[in-house]
Amino acid sequence: MPKPLAFIIEDDPQLNEIMSITLQADFELETCVDGDTAMERLKNVVPRIIILDLNLPGTSGRDILTCIRSDERLAKTRVILTTADNRQAETLHNDADIVLLKPVSPKQLRELALRVISMP
Amino acid sequence: MPAAKVPWFIIDWTSKSSHPGSSMSYHFQLNMMPLALGALIAGALALYTWQNRRAVAAAPFSIMMLILYEWQISYIFELAGTDLSTKLFWDKAMFFGVVATPVAWLVFALEYTGRKTWINARRFVMLSIIPVFTLVIILTNDLHQLFWTRMTLSAEGEFLVLVPRYGPWYWIHTVYSYTLIIIGFFLIIRTLLRWPTQYRGQMVWVLFATVTPFIANILFVFRIVPVLIDLTPIAFTVTGIGLAFAVFHYRLLDIAPIARDIVVDGMKDGMIVLDANRRIVDINRAAQQMIGLSGEQAPIGKTLPHVLAKWPDLIERYRDVLEAEDEIRVGEGETQRWYELGLSALLDGNKSLIGRVITVHDITDRKQAESQLQESEARFRQIVENASDIIYRVDTSGCLTYANPAAMRVLGYESEKDVIGRHYLDLVAPEVRHKVKRIYEHQFLSKTPTTYHELPAIAADGREIWLGQNVQLIYEGDQITGFQSLARDITAIKQAYDALRLAHDQALEANLAKTRLLSKVSHELRTPLGGILGYAELLQRNSFGPLNEKQKRATSEIVESADYLATMVSELLDEAQLRSSTATLLENVFSPFKLIKQATSGMDILAQKKGLEFSSYTDPDLPQGIFGDERRIRQIVINLIGNAIKFTKEGSVHLNVMRHNENHWGIQVTDTGIGIPKEAQASIFEPFQQVRSEVTRDNRGIGLGLSITKQLVELMNGRILLESEPGQGSTFTVLLPIKAIG
Repeated sequence: MPKPLAFIIEDDPQLNEIMSITLQADFELETCVDGDTAMERLKNVVPRIIILDLNLPGTSGRDILTCIRSDERLAKTRVILTTADNRQAETLHNDADIVLLKPVSPKQLRELALRVISMP
Repeated sequence: MPAAKVPWFIIDWTSKSSHPGSSMSYHFQLNMMPLALGALIAGALALYTWQNRRAVAAAPFSIMMLILYEWQISYIFELAGTDLSTKLFWDKAMFFGVVATPVAWLVFALEYTGRKTWINARRFVMLSIIPVFTLVIILTNDLHQLFWTRMTLSAEGEFLVLVPRYGPWYWIHTVYSYTLIIIGFFLIIRTLLRWPTQYRGQMVWVLFATVTPFIANILFVFRIVPVLIDLTPIAFTVTGIGLAFAVFHYRLLDIAPIARDIVVDGMKDGMIVLDANRRIVDINRAAQQMIGLSGEQAPIGKTLPHVLAKWPDLIERYRDVLEAEDEIRVGEGETQRWYELGLSALLDGNKSLIGRVITVHDITDRKQAESQLQESEARFRQIVENASDIIYRVDTSGCLTYANPAAMRVLGYESEKDVIGRHYLDLVAPEVRHKVKRIYEHQFLSKTPTTYHELPAIAADGREIWLGQNVQLIYEGDQITGFQSLARDITAIKQAYDALRLAHDQALEANLAKTRLLSKVSHELRTPLGGILGYAELLQRNSFGPLNEKQKRATSEIVESADYLATMVSELLDEAQLRSSTATLLENVFSPFKLIKQATSGMDILAQKKGLEFSSYTDPDLPQGIFGDERRIRQIVINLIGNAIKFTKEGSVHLNVMRHNENHWGIQVTDTGIGIPKEAQASIFEPFQQVRSEVTRDNRGIGLGLSITKQLVELMNGRILLESEPGQGSTFTVLLPIKAIG
């Protein structure tokens, strides 16, 4: 059985790497470090899960989230939002499947990612 | 006792002027004139008073005069008669008058003294029995001689008079007649004593007129003076004159003293009549009461200064005053009375002063009411005048009709004249006049009883003074006559408020800046923390190859420190947001059961690590859905349990979630930890407070947990309670309102 696709959109290369390493065992990975590239890529792929940083160069995480939520193709895609801003974490609580406040623990991220894709 | 029957009369001729036994013949003499005059007067009076018989006692007086007239006329004829039979005839005729006079007199006296009602038909008949009987006896004297036993003729000077010797009935008649006369006499005397002096002249004349004939009669009947002629009718001349004088001079029958008694004594107002020498000639009951002499004998005849000795100043003030109308005050304190004093001169026909009339009207009640009104007016005036607030009134044309001293002071005007009459808008800053005018017009039209506005007024020197004023409409009946305003100088308050608002805005700005800075800082800290924590964890998981023991320990130290740092950043940010009131709640309906389950998952593992027992109980009575900020409540629960585990070395931590009452639910965390000393309990919820001696490496923290918890609870309108004994453990109870869903 092919591994589900996880799309990591995170501008910080270190965090991007940590997340990639964390999820590589369980997911097929695609990564991206800016919003505009992510938007382009999302036209062609349907990830099972997206790890989305809110604060991105180019198209913001918030706009990308809005796009995902309005795209029929991505209806089944789960979104884990990461942010260093606790306010935004609060306000986007209902739009994302999970909002994680940075720093994100790799262990917690893996657990949540697996849990969220298993939800019906 | 003589056996022989002798004629009861003897003719004793001492004059030869006539022939006895012949038909009537008379010899009138000039010295009968007084009798004739008396008769004439009596007749005239009878006629005159009859015409005025509606006056009190006029009718009996008229009848009495008629009877006297008859008496005197008969007597004249008797005296003028020249023979015995003529004389006897007239003598008998005369007795009609003699017996009727006492009855008429008594009736007159009764009526004159106000006892008219006493005389009824039955009593009149009773009174008349003896006189009628006497007349019958006189007319039949020839048969029984009960009245006269003997009659002789005797010459008395120029008169030939009858000299009778009386029988027993004569004395009965005499006693009866005198009884009636004396009764009448005393009735009049008694009334006279009660009557005011100005009627005394009249009464003396009446008495003199009345008494004279009877004195004469007594002299004649009892032969006190040696005269044979009966002086009684002559005395009646005097009576006639006396009564005529009383009638014409004193208007005896015109004035009704009775009426005076009823009216004047019955009056509520006091009345005192003085003669020219300030002697009291009349005083009514009310006046006596006012002077304080009620119940005593009326002070008739005493001088006014004597009677009013208590009030010498009054006497002095009105000594020579003839006409006055004043209000006077008598007495002090509780007993003080006010009177309206009227003083009028009494002048006789020649316009010369014969006395004064004083009328006294008690106006104490009115005065008291007036003075109460004045007092209350003064009181309110004082309040208004001494008020530090401005009070002014404006009429419907907008002109100022009143302004209190505070208005002058605040607006810097010298006197009322500078303000009264001016239009109120003149005193308002020009740029707001239009607006102010509109506000008042609206109040007038909508009849809004009270409004409040703040507006800039213009002081005398042009300064702008802010006034906060309550404006009320003034009504007279249902007509609006203007408005009154209670205004306060709020310039200083306004300035302070402006300064405060600026400071507040600045503080708010500064606070926001601080929060923004903190957000920025925390954001900037969180990203590298993510790196530290992430790589350290990956190292722990051997993602970069296996680690030796030393490396493992070092890595776990990095993870722990990074966790601590992350918590610290979160708490600092929370605290800053709560302090600056920029924290908001995201409220939604959530299930308390699910929340508690989530919050406690992992807590047992945490507790187990420290060898503690963790248990929890959730009251099934809790509502399935509660409205609130789920995340923040979870934060509270985790904070409380985390704290409990942190500060408990052994024993247990128990969570009890309960329905506290109808409107509150509670989250209660009990531990068997070190407890919190009483002195520390008050400050435990302050930021950066911990029981220092109990802080170890294991339970370190920056001391914001409880401060944040308390602030969150209060943000939710809840309460947090602490019960703790050192060594006995602690119980934190959070009570949160159950908000209605909807």
